[in-house]
Amino acid sequence: MRLLRAGRWITVLGFVLLAGVYLRALAFTPVERSQGLAQKIFYLHVPAAIWAETAMVLVGLASVFYLFLKDPRLDRFAEASAEVGTVFAAIVLTTGPIWGKPIWGTWWSWDARLTFTLFLFLLYAGYLLLRGAVADPGARRRYAAVLGICGMCLVPFIHFSVYLFRTLHPMPIVLKPSAPSLPGSMLATWLFSLSVFTLLYVAFVMQRYALGLLREPAAGSEGLHA
Amino acid sequence: MPDAVPQNAGFMVAAYITTAVILVGYAVTLYRRTLKP
Repeated sequence: MRLLRAGRWITVLGFVLLAGVYLRALAFTPVERSQGLAQKIFYLHVPAAIWAETAMVLVGLASVFYLFLKDPRLDRFAEASAEVGTVFAAIVLTTGPIWGKPIWGTWWSWDARLTFTLFLFLLYAGYLLLRGAVADPGARRRYAAVLGICGMCLVPFIHFSVYLFRTLHPMPIVLKPSAPSLPGSMLATWLFSLSVFTLLYVAFVMQRYALGLLREPAAGSEGLHA
Repeated sequence: MPDAVPQNAGFMVAAYITTAVILVGYAVTLYRRTLKP
């Protein structure tokens, strides 16, 4: 169970570092004058959004390769990445409205970025429900792979929706062609948070992948002792 | 005279708590599921 144990330890490390992110964001990062303390939600919301989208891209890529190679490890990774992506999408969809209420004056607006992100969450939920609904392992993997590829195709629309449509959502201030429009201390906090969310994604996927192996007795100890 | 900074700390606290609850909750469910035979 080496993979599982390593995943658990990395998760513990991730939570310790997350406490560091909270401390740095709350106590050692300046307050933005026009938005007040609510702006600090950005340090959690954006890294979670990046990993909610990246996880779906990885699901899609693993699914494409699964359809060609029929390697169950790719399907198992896609399943793990989808579940973890759902968690990050849930963070995006809760922290976003909490920021929106004081800044926009409303919890929710049916604009392109928000609606596409909700659609991403529903796609994740549908993907996981589909996996639970099909009993035959071969069919389950094929159907899930097709849905995973569809999910991957949605991600560019989410990311570029602020350019393609008129939207309330702020334009990117870090992930854009020109230099980030953030002061150094804010950018450092954001990069620290992004690193911790990356670590948590890796740790969660390792554990979820190991759980997938444990649920497949026929797979034996493949990978667990690798 | 500079504009006053908006007083909305409660929203920030709510977002930080919600994020921690979701992440810790998921870590706990993963741990519990891997314990089951």
